[in-house]
Amino acid sequence: MALTKEIKELSIKRYKEERDWFKLNLEGAELLGTEEGELSARLLRILLESKERVVDAVENDKPFIGGYFCNAPEIFTSMGLPWFMVMETPFLAASAPFILQDIDGAEEMGLGGDLCTAIRLPIYYIENNMMPIPTCCLGLIYPCDGAPMLHQVLMHNSNWKNVPLYSCDPPYTSDERAVRYFADELREMTRFIEKHTGAKLKMDDLVDVCERSNQVYTNWQEYMEYRKNVPCPHGWEMGGAQCFAISQCFDVGNPKSVAWFEQLIKVGEDRIKKGLGAQSKEGWKEKVRLFWFDIMPYGWIFEFMPWLEEELGAVIVNDMFGNFPYSLIDTSSEEAIYYDLAKRNLVDAPMIRQARGTAENFAEDIRRIVKDYKVDVVIWPGHMGHKDGAATVGIMRETCRDLDIPFLHIGLDLFDKRYTSIDEVKDKVVTFLEGHGFI
Amino acid sequence: MSVFDAYIEKVVEYVEALRTRGVETKEFTCLEAPDRIRDGLPIQVGPNAHRGIILRSDTYLELGNPLAGSCAFVLWTDKPSLVSDGKVTLLGPDIQESAGGSLPFAQILIVGGEELSDKDHESLVQHQYVSDRIEGYMIKSAPDRVWSRVSKEAAEKGFDFETLGKALMGIVKSEEPRVQAMEIVFVTTSKEDVEGLANIAAQIRKISKEIVKENWKIRGYDIECASDCSSCAEKLVCDDIREVISVKKRKKREAKAAGAS
Repeated sequence: MALTKEIKELSIKRYKEERDWFKLNLEGAELLGTEEGELSARLLRILLESKERVVDAVENDKPFIGGYFCNAPEIFTSMGLPWFMVMETPFLAASAPFILQDIDGAEEMGLGGDLCTAIRLPIYYIENNMMPIPTCCLGLIYPCDGAPMLHQVLMHNSNWKNVPLYSCDPPYTSDERAVRYFADELREMTRFIEKHTGAKLKMDDLVDVCERSNQVYTNWQEYMEYRKNVPCPHGWEMGGAQCFAISQCFDVGNPKSVAWFEQLIKVGEDRIKKGLGAQSKEGWKEKVRLFWFDIMPYGWIFEFMPWLEEELGAVIVNDMFGNFPYSLIDTSSEEAIYYDLAKRNLVDAPMIRQARGTAENFAEDIRRIVKDYKVDVVIWPGHMGHKDGAATVGIMRETCRDLDIPFLHIGLDLFDKRYTSIDEVKDKVVTFLEGHGFI
Repeated sequence: MSVFDAYIEKVVEYVEALRTRGVETKEFTCLEAPDRIRDGLPIQVGPNAHRGIILRSDTYLELGNPLAGSCAFVLWTDKPSLVSDGKVTLLGPDIQESAGGSLPFAQILIVGGEELSDKDHESLVQHQYVSDRIEGYMIKSAPDRVWSRVSKEAAEKGFDFETLGKALMGIVKSEEPRVQAMEIVFVTTSKEDVEGLANIAAQIRKISKEIVKENWKIRGYDIECASDCSSCAEKLVCDDIREVISVKKRKKREAKAAGAS
């Protein structure tokens, strides 16, 4: 059954508001007059272009995709299909002015307060017709307690129930057999997309996108090497979050993304040569190097991160999304491309890497990052939605004890500052860093 | 007997096969006491010996870029007699001969000590990634391989594989007192030669995962989900996932059947 004009218009309303909020951010970034400001502006322009493509698709009845997380976007990008991530708002626009109101709305619907906010919000948007309704939708059946609920909503909501849904099944293990299985899932996903959008995958186009994507990932790795420098050339404002978003979320394999990373490397290199740290203010010093082992606290990032860096000299040198275990895609054959895409999305990408399989990735990543990035303190923020990680806090703590590195477990909601107040988080961090003699 | 003993033999056989093929081979010896190994090296070795990073523009040579070929692993044994202590074998071109390039790179560390056991495994493996401990040498953060850079400054000072081998021996022997013997093999000939070790590396990774799992178990942690489903609080979540999968498979079957009829 075709959607009415009214339903379609309503479904795109919030998406447009989000787009306009990013436009406002772009105006702000353009006024900064710094190289980092220019980087932010270029990133926002790429993001806005991807949003405009989705708006155009809705308004002009063109096929587009509701994607999930770690669905190998190289595939549908190479098919020329506009797409957005179903969980896009909490990840990209969590500091938008309407987020707290939306979280309240989700609670009023009866969604449990212990359900990950990044899951609650898309459920709320879908149930209230506040999300673009795609031609077809992609899911991922991974063991996050909220994910099955979101998938059920995708299947049963009255406006979405006729939207075909294909959910890849990521296996528990990370060995070759598992990667091959997931590669087959991605092949099946490709056939599904072709069937429901009418678009056809051309191998030459996929090779082009993967090769540009390889350039992006090569530059990203180079930049992450720069963050090992003491002092770290950038802090929270520029790092894993931006690199991940631009390489995996907006427009994969876009030449503009390649150029963005080249500029990022140039800016990072310049700062290292000048001996500059995360803050350029006179008298400011990097006092403690942190590994923030989760997503950044997007819902209240501006109220916490500048304080952490400016007041305490505490610099986040790496975070879960900056962690770089990626390998490049071998584009020599279709078989190799699907295998490497499967590995990247199943084994390498953050959250799926940690949440899906054995807990050793938590310990191994901490060991390597602490050593390589000269980390002084590991912070496990303890996001209420990351119950998989909550089960491994003991392993993380033991690993840090082995390394003789302090480990701080906070307990908070990365998207909702009312769960644990920002003052309380600040208090915990200050007490901890003071107690260990860093500040 | 250590689980890796058989793989030490395989590596020895692999090296012999390359030699027989006529691959250019160099051997260095390093039999000094751990605290003396670093003496006479052209660069500093030890914590913070290399505080900064090596930018692309300051790089003399890159080793183990995955596109060029890359492989690294550590083998340990409780039979030191299986290890030719102090021996560094280089198969292929040396650093000084390869300015501005990118060499394929395999690095195999073989250590022996009568008291070595599974408990030492993770620590020994971590020694492959030397972080900031060798001046003019930087390892990039890439899992399961050593992908590194040698700086122009270090190369000017004479940094070569003898230096790298001795530096690694100095680090491992001084930080792991139970290590009595250590041997290193570097391969830089070709991508094919480096990838010829991939099968051994894959086996080593599997064994390594098992050892890590057991080590955590001894400490009271199960890193794998091996609990009894009937008593697991998350059973409902798993049941939901199974249901979604079975619906998906049923739909697929139905679609196939409809297509066939």
